[in-house]
Amino acid sequence: MSFDLWTLGFQAVNVLVLVWLLQRYFWTPVAATIAARQSAAATLLEEAKARKATAEAALAEVDATRAAMAAERDALLATARKDAQAARETVLATAQAEAEALHDTAKAARVRAAETLKASAIEDAQGLALTIAGRLMARLDGAATDAAFLGWLVEGLSALSEADRKALGDAALKVISATPQDSAAQDTLAQAITAAIGHPVTLCFRASPDLIAGHELHSPHFTLLNSWAADLARIKAALALPDASQDTNGQPDAA
Amino acid sequence: MLSAPLFMAGPVPIMPAVVVTWAIMVVLVIGAILLKRRLTAMPSKTQAAAELLVEAVDGQIRDVTGAPPGPYRAFIGTLFLFILIANWSSLIPGVTPPTATMETPAALAGLVFGSIIFFGVKGGGVGGFLRGFALPNPVMIPLNMLESITRGFSMFVRLFGNVMSGVFVIAIVGSLAALLVPIPLMVLELLTGAVQAYIFAILSMVFITSAVEKGTPQPDPENPTPENKES
Repeated sequence: MSFDLWTLGFQAVNVLVLVWLLQRYFWTPVAATIAARQSAAATLLEEAKARKATAEAALAEVDATRAAMAAERDALLATARKDAQAARETVLATAQAEAEALHDTAKAARVRAAETLKASAIEDAQGLALTIAGRLMARLDGAATDAAFLGWLVEGLSALSEADRKALGDAALKVISATPQDSAAQDTLAQAITAAIGHPVTLCFRASPDLIAGHELHSPHFTLLNSWAADLARIKAALALPDASQDTNGQPDAA
Repeated sequence: MLSAPLFMAGPVPIMPAVVVTWAIMVVLVIGAILLKRRLTAMPSKTQAAAELLVEAVDGQIRDVTGAPPGPYRAFIGTLFLFILIANWSSLIPGVTPPTATMETPAALAGLVFGSIIFFGVKGGGVGGFLRGFALPNPVMIPLNMLESITRGFSMFVRLFGNVMSGVFVIAIVGSLAALLVPIPLMVLELLTGAVQAYIFAILSMVFITSAVEKGTPQPDPENPTPENKES
């Protein structure tokens, strides 16, 4: 086993040269390639992070915008509901007021029409009653009718107080009959009236067909209505005032 | 193991180990040049293997030194690669690996010895490097100097002894047994060659790192300076 110094030197130089060559052609280029790839990967990662951050920011902005739109939509819906409710209540109130006004107007019109119809019916009835009374009177016995009305006239005078009957003699009394009275009838009337009053009075006789039938007494301060026309007038007044007390018994009305 | 020179270059004998080393150099350099021309961002299988080797070397250096691997990559990586290829060259019939002769491991150990001085002086200066021999106290200077020689010698002997013994065993078994019998031993020699290359490279890195750290002023953890605080 020998040890050659030339070989030792050759090998040392060979290895040093190999170190230099491989450093130039292998270790440095390959390490640079690795470093470049790592740098590129790091750059790509940074870019990806930046893009991810940008995308997340955009997404957050979209979410915020969406939330704002939802809130605005809710607010608009609430306002619209409120306005619609107010409008509905206003329309309902207006319609109700109009309906009540129409109802009141219709009711008033109906009342007026009924009153008009009733007045017209009453007027027609009155005319019919007058017509019927006139025709009936024309068929009745005039003397008997005059006698009946004379009796009721005497009853009316008898119902007066003594002071009133005495006051009747102070002035002339006007006796109005439905038909002209002859002198006999006038005497009969004068005797009956004088007897009812209780002292002599001055009488003057008149005829008025408007009375239909009966005899009435008139003075400047006293009137005793005792005719069929007066009875019909009382009936008409009673029909016009249904709640008032009616006096349709044919008794003479003194005023 | 006696070896005769292949030829004489004047008075200089050219031994087979030198020629094999030249062949290994040519193969490695041509391969490196071809690889460099084909380096791309999208690596091929060959480029991926080369990058894997570089990253493995960088990782080992970083684990041992804790420093960036750039200053040591070429030297440590080339030591590992050359020793590995040299050890595995024993598989080629008729070829004696250069590491099976004393001159090559001795040259490698000498280069490691020189690199320890180079990187130690580069890291801490001449004074710092020399002060490293006085640690932990000046009494240790002779022993530290002796240690720096003996550990290089141990590297040389370890590499030479392992590779040479493997070559001897394979040769003896091959001469005694049939042709295929040495194959398991050759496979074992592959493993041994790889392990020895790894051990040689790592020990080189450890010794260099030790020299650099001894020559560099260490921060006092109990009394930190502002620079140390920042770091």
